[in-house]
Amino acid sequence: MSAVPAATAAATPPGVSTPEPPRRGRRGPRRGAVTEALAAYGFLAPGLALLATFVFVPLAGAAALSLQRTNGFGDGVWVGLDNYARLFTDPVFWRATLNTVLFTLVVTPGSMALGLGAAVLLNSVLPARGLFRSVLILPMAVSGVATALIGVLVFDQNSGFANAVLRALGLPGVDWQSGGTAAFVTVVLVTLWWRTGFNMLIYLAGLQGVGREMIEAATLDGAGPWQRFRYVIVPMLGPSSFFLVIMNVIYSFQVFDIVFVLTGGGPRNATTVLVTYAYDNGFVTRDQGYAATIGVFLLVVSLVFTALRWRTSRTRDLVG
Amino acid sequence: MPLTRRQLLTAAGAASAPLALGACGGFSTSGRDAGASAAPGTVTFTTWGTDSELAGLRSAIASFEQANSGVKVTLNAVPYEQMFTTIDAQLQAGKAPDVFRVPYYTFGSYAGRGQLLDLSSHLESGFADRFTPQAWAAVQNGGKPYGVPHHTDTSVILYNKALLESAGVTEVPTRLEDAWTWQEFEAVAKRLRENLPDDKWPFAYNWQGNGVTRWLSWLFEADGRFLTDDLTAAAIDSDAGRAAVEFTQGFFRQNLVPQNSSVKSSTYAADLWYSGTTAMNFGGAFLVPDATSTVDFEWGVTFPPRDARSAGDFGGNALVATKGVEDPALVAKFLDHVTQKQPMADFCAGASLLPTRADLVQEGIEFTVRPELSPVFVAQAGAVLPQDSGQVASPSMSAIITVLKDQLEEAFVGDQDAATTVRNLADGIGAAVAR
Repeated sequence: MSAVPAATAAATPPGVSTPEPPRRGRRGPRRGAVTEALAAYGFLAPGLALLATFVFVPLAGAAALSLQRTNGFGDGVWVGLDNYARLFTDPVFWRATLNTVLFTLVVTPGSMALGLGAAVLLNSVLPARGLFRSVLILPMAVSGVATALIGVLVFDQNSGFANAVLRALGLPGVDWQSGGTAAFVTVVLVTLWWRTGFNMLIYLAGLQGVGREMIEAATLDGAGPWQRFRYVIVPMLGPSSFFLVIMNVIYSFQVFDIVFVLTGGGPRNATTVLVTYAYDNGFVTRDQGYAATIGVFLLVVSLVFTALRWRTSRTRDLVG
Repeated sequence: MPLTRRQLLTAAGAASAPLALGACGGFSTSGRDAGASAAPGTVTFTTWGTDSELAGLRSAIASFEQANSGVKVTLNAVPYEQMFTTIDAQLQAGKAPDVFRVPYYTFGSYAGRGQLLDLSSHLESGFADRFTPQAWAAVQNGGKPYGVPHHTDTSVILYNKALLESAGVTEVPTRLEDAWTWQEFEAVAKRLRENLPDDKWPFAYNWQGNGVTRWLSWLFEADGRFLTDDLTAAAIDSDAGRAAVEFTQGFFRQNLVPQNSSVKSSTYAADLWYSGTTAMNFGGAFLVPDATSTVDFEWGVTFPPRDARSAGDFGGNALVATKGVEDPALVAKFLDHVTQKQPMADFCAGASLLPTRADLVQEGIEFTVRPELSPVFVAQAGAVLPQDSGQVASPSMSAIITVLKDQLEEAFVGDQDAATTVRNLADGIGAAVAR
């Protein structure tokens, strides 16, 4: 992680000269540097070739497909921006977009807050913290499909564990599968269970990079536990938070397996998200041109969000 | 020992070499080897299937190879979930297997879009006569056969004897012509509702997922259609269409089925029945082996209800050949072999599936498991008419399935009225066939 020049300059006492950066020769870069650059590109080439083959070429293909009307086989018919115009008049697309945004707004802060809480707890002198860390990280080792199947066992509204517990407590069962809001809640809860471990892991690494002397200094200055957490630890976790926001938002935009298995997008599209809608169009209806259009929309939204977050984050490069 | 930059770069280069070589060579897929048409005298065949279905197919392949010296059939068994995304990708890439298995409701998507071999000139004259008319109608496109009907299946009612008896229902129809009418069936369901505890339901219908096509049985029972005779326009906006929607919508409104058993539910009707949550379950013969080995209650089968007539879903699968096969004559010979009397009888008896050959239907068939149930399934299959199965072979069926799912979900869970539902179905189906 690179240091921030502005911070360094501000920390330099007045009157003390700073060392100048090494000067390049007037005849341009030295010969060794050219060879070094060539070698670097040579070693980068296989990775770039893979990236081009499996990322950029398919992306270009998807963009081209989004301009065609297709029926699953053979060449498509070029229809220009018709598929994009269709997005604006498609109520299911807007419902899927709304669901995706709502899912992102709930899951991203939710899983980060739970992850941070667990990390702080497990970074302390909690007994058997190794065991607790393993338990929290374990869901990461389970595939999304298996996670969703576990979710089905819990939230089956007739024979699931959740309603059995509610009824044992004398409470009425919840329509987890046939109620729109309840179904959305099941998707969120299962996702939080799955994602908290990852967030905890990143925060735990960040916490272990926070110097003990910083905490001690804050304590000596009279900061209480909450103040130490809020004004020392949280700012020091800036890069971890930056990374997690990007990762969680991208994951949330692309959520598929949990929804596909747990609710199938129902009831009445209450849990349909952009990727499940694209899947339905591409592989059930075989309208692959329109499915590609939804995919391109998703890509653009993800890129715009990442760029905005990159430009507006002040703490992304501070410490790691 | 500290590494120099040169040593580090050399090590990184060595580590990345396998990736680079992998990129140059391309990644092999299991589908390619078993999928593409290969040496002369070889037929590649991709399918999914239960253990008993695969055993039946392997047996048919063995007898075909024995009867045709030097010929080799390569069977590639894949999970159902991956079957059609793989087949579609292979067709796009020109690497499809010679023969593959396809549900009737998916058949039209391939046949209508020029992906299958027209078998007209490769099958002996009179070949069509070996099948029931409804089975032969299900593999036609533009009046030509693009596959062979390998087996069928149709839904009947599987019932939990104890739960029915607890509601005083001790007798069920034992002949097709005595099947409950819609009103009688509804009366039985209401009686069950009154006598069952709140966490149990009278029945569940098997229309989840792509099983939504099974809702069409209600439409056919009301003597309705969803496509015109020439399959080019919607025909569901009718009294029969409205009656079918209104009657099935009543299942949810009257709490006769679990609310989570709608068409987009991730809970399948069979699972609800296995767990004792429902007293009756609409299901096919393919459930018989699992039900026999899984459930711990006594159960039987009876005929589904009728309205203007009896009807049923034309389930099951066809075998089709891809357009670019190297040896169409050999492939046609293979398709001929697996639909001969003995291979089909062995396959259907072992897998608890129904034959498509008229002679086997006439003579009857005995499942290996619970043979006494076979007559009910065979008789119910006879209630499927060619005009019904022919509609399901529409090339637009994949888009129609989406329309059915969306609109029926609105009617069942969203309380959309029957007239609006049927109008929306007509609009959606019309747009699908016009695309």
